[in-house]
Amino acid sequence: MERIGEIVATSSSSLTAVSFTLHQPPALGSVVKVDLEEGRRTVYGVVSFGTTTGLDPGRRVVRRSTEHVHDAAIYVEHPQLQKTLRTEFQALLVGYIGPDGRVHQHLPPQPPPLHFSVCGCDSDEVARFSQRRAYFRLLLDAAVELPPEQLLAAHIRETYAARGDDGEWLAAAAREVAALLKGEYDRLMGLLQAIEPQ
Amino acid sequence: MPLDLATIQPQIAQMIAQAHTEALADHMNAACELLRTADTAHLRQVLRERGHRDRIPWLVAKPVEEISTTHPAPPLPTAGFTVVASDGSTIAPDRHSPLRFFVLNVGLARLTYGQQPDARLWARGMFCSDAESIYITAEGRRIPVEGARLGLRMASEELQALWEAAREAPADGPVLALRDGSLIFWALQNEEDAVVRHFLPQILDCLERFEGAGIPVASYISYPGAQDVANTLRLLVCGKDPKHCGQCVGASDEERALCRALADIRDQPLFLRHLQPGQRSAVFDSTSTILDRYGEQRVQFFYLHTGEEIARLEAPQWVMQDATMRGLLHAAVADQCRRGRGYPPALMEAHEQAVITTGERRLVEQMVEEALAARGMVYVRSAKDRSKRERGV
Repeated sequence: MERIGEIVATSSSSLTAVSFTLHQPPALGSVVKVDLEEGRRTVYGVVSFGTTTGLDPGRRVVRRSTEHVHDAAIYVEHPQLQKTLRTEFQALLVGYIGPDGRVHQHLPPQPPPLHFSVCGCDSDEVARFSQRRAYFRLLLDAAVELPPEQLLAAHIRETYAARGDDGEWLAAAAREVAALLKGEYDRLMGLLQAIEPQ
Repeated sequence: MPLDLATIQPQIAQMIAQAHTEALADHMNAACELLRTADTAHLRQVLRERGHRDRIPWLVAKPVEEISTTHPAPPLPTAGFTVVASDGSTIAPDRHSPLRFFVLNVGLARLTYGQQPDARLWARGMFCSDAESIYITAEGRRIPVEGARLGLRMASEELQALWEAAREAPADGPVLALRDGSLIFWALQNEEDAVVRHFLPQILDCLERFEGAGIPVASYISYPGAQDVANTLRLLVCGKDPKHCGQCVGASDEERALCRALADIRDQPLFLRHLQPGQRSAVFDSTSTILDRYGEQRVQFFYLHTGEEIARLEAPQWVMQDATMRGLLHAAVADQCRRGRGYPPALMEAHEQAVITTGERRLVEQMVEEALAARGMVYVRSAKDRSKRERGV
């Protein structure tokens, strides 16, 4: 699969990567992977946050638009922005495939190495990883910068689409979520509304 | 707080009061009028006669065009263009250190505008500890490369890197090469001949390479402190011979007052009134003594109203006397200032690449320390330096 970013921060529970394309981090909730040991091991993550900032934290982002130059035209007018801004994304680690070929839905034994590539996953791979949903709890319990149930909802939407609008899987996912959020009516309802197919 | 701010405060108020008097405003108006109405043919004659007879006691600028002329920015090349810029930063030799070395970092930016906008930002660092780098040898003596001489070495490296960056720029559309600061290396005037012979040929060779490739090269000075044009206007105030200026004989009180005021007026506020945004002034020949050794690479300058302030653009005469190159310099720099809200983005990005942070400075020192330690040597700094770092109470 296509390389989409490079790991610049890593831990046992999450990674941060610089996106190879400015303003285009992978979709919130989508599944990404890091291949290790020439593909004998693969760590999976769910994209939990994206941000675009100045490369140098000491430099302020200033207004660039004028009456005639705005939005995408700003980047034509100021080509250096492609080199002075960067888009980063974070992914929560949700599982891995070891040399035995089995999918493990819990934290990997080691953090993925710094500077390794983060790749997108094709629909078959997403389908294979999401066949079981034990990792939903990891997403709900994560300390992230947005409400965890909204992150899980985004992941369910992305996975449902990647699985070709798999209604059976969506129903099973909803039941899983209902079990995880029993006793938390408001959070559950918010999540269920967010995953309802349009 | 050892600095007694209470003492300083009234002195600041006094300075501000002196800087903003009605008389000064009147003199500024008179200076602007002098610039607007100056007879260039007469001025040239005065400069020629007095330049031949005796040295004019101030640094004057010889107008190459009508002195009061103003030019709007010509149109930009329609097919796009590239601006390449360089800037530099140093870690100077430290006399409190047992080892003599310095570090140079040249920051470079290449910005391409037009149908296929592109940017490349990069830096080139150099660690210099070899005898040929840290000393200039003259008749058996070693002259250390530090202070102004380190600045000259930095300038030479910046120009060299700028040349390489300009040469490698994409071939589609014209290229303008910009350096931050001046191309008139007047600091050489205070150096002994061996130092001039060491640095000047490197700098002039580089300018010649630009000339050979037909790539205009220039330097950009923001908020310049120069007084060359204001000084020139002094020659028109009273019509007396400037070699008698010490006595100031024969001038009226009014003339005397304006002449003295001009001595304190910089070109920059004068042209801020004289030019409209985007316009440039006449091209001037600088009379800095060091330029007598520049030959074909003699530097001329003009002032540009950037929309925010006055900038001084200096370039070799082959750039300034070629309408296409001069036009590209004017149009591209005015455009850069528009894009960069008053300052060229290419220079700003080159500066960002060049900066050596405090952390990096410490890291270099640490690397030297570790390299010494690996050979069983201890890095002992001067007692004064250790005391300053410790700041014990």
